[in-house]
Amino acid sequence: MGTFTIVNPGDQPVWVNTDNCKACDKCVSVCPSGVLGMRYESTSVLGAMISVDHPEACIGCNECELACPDFAIYVADRQEYKAAGFSFAKLTDDAKVRQEQVIANNYMSLSEQGVK
Amino acid sequence: MAFNYDKYLRLEKMPTLWCWGCGDGVILKAFVRAIEKIDVNQDDVCIVSGIGCSGRFSSYVDFNTVHTTHGRTIAYATGIKLARPDKLVVCVAGDGDSLAIGGNHTIHGCRRNIDLTFIVINNFIYGLTNSQTSPTTPKGMWTVSQKAGNIDPTFNTCNLAIAAGASFVARETMTEPKKLEKVLIKAMKHKGFSMMEVLSNCHINFGRKNKMVSAMENLEWIDSITVSKKKYDTMTEEEQLNLLPTGILKEDTKADEYCDMYAEIQKVHQGQRAKITQDDFAKKI
Repeated sequence: MGTFTIVNPGDQPVWVNTDNCKACDKCVSVCPSGVLGMRYESTSVLGAMISVDHPEACIGCNECELACPDFAIYVADRQEYKAAGFSFAKLTDDAKVRQEQVIANNYMSLSEQGVK
Repeated sequence: MAFNYDKYLRLEKMPTLWCWGCGDGVILKAFVRAIEKIDVNQDDVCIVSGIGCSGRFSSYVDFNTVHTTHGRTIAYATGIKLARPDKLVVCVAGDGDSLAIGGNHTIHGCRRNIDLTFIVINNFIYGLTNSQTSPTTPKGMWTVSQKAGNIDPTFNTCNLAIAAGASFVARETMTEPKKLEKVLIKAMKHKGFSMMEVLSNCHINFGRKNKMVSAMENLEWIDSITVSKKKYDTMTEEEQLNLLPTGILKEDTKADEYCDMYAEIQKVHQGQRAKITQDDFAKKI
């Protein structure tokens, strides 16, 4: 039985459910601000697993959640998140550059070395 | 808290059996979000799916579901709709399911204009059985059954539905889930047969020998063969070749709906009205 985590685990703008993730890289490819990346994971079928590297840069656009076919990534509800006293970041040039670098790095996190 | 998917899913079936990056999951998600938006009770929705990867669709959602035989989604759904016209009946089928083995049922469902929503998940191949040529496989693509390149002409699903008489016809791709969600809402709210073609990826079986080994490459290819209807209409015929328009292609709210007319038939047999004649239809025209 899969476990689900629609409840925000501690005021995060975006969070993942690694039980459901199949490492298809889709969420990483659609993120505009380089929040996500893949890390090596020996127990996963494809040898990789999603990780949220820069949650502080998340703009709350929901693209990753909509693009995920496996219900493995969630983005906080904008109104609820604001009511709790947090806010999503603005899209910056640094973030755009980081996103391009992540895609050029075969969707792997920039801290991970080598090719998937 | 994020969007509450749990309410609409059978959690004991998760994670899904689909391959990594499969478009079916995105469509499932868009569908669940659309259902939430139209605010309908879960018990008033019936999902009918056929055989193929898309057939798993009914297993994951917590509505009334029927997993039917190959290609017969429309046949089962017609029965369900006629028995309970107040329910929302949604059929989900793949391109092979709906256009090859179930092609006959599809065109007659369109002809009757019965109030069903028919989601055709078109991934251009028979994905479940390891990539044989389907009716929508583009010419020149490698498939297991046509290894020298596909020579079969391609079905245009939406044109087929329009010609057969469906009153709502739309085509969307799964690269734009927000747009897909909006059109799905319109399709489900429409009274009459709504044909909803969703172009999806199968990078595992369609892409592996066609130079699209990852989901992203396959989606780029889908983007390259689709164009919005607005732009498509301004193109010359030469430019339109090999391109598919996306968006709502036909919306006719005045066409006779089959369940309404079936209710009249019931009245005839209950002695509440005279037999239906050609004149009754002539008045409407």
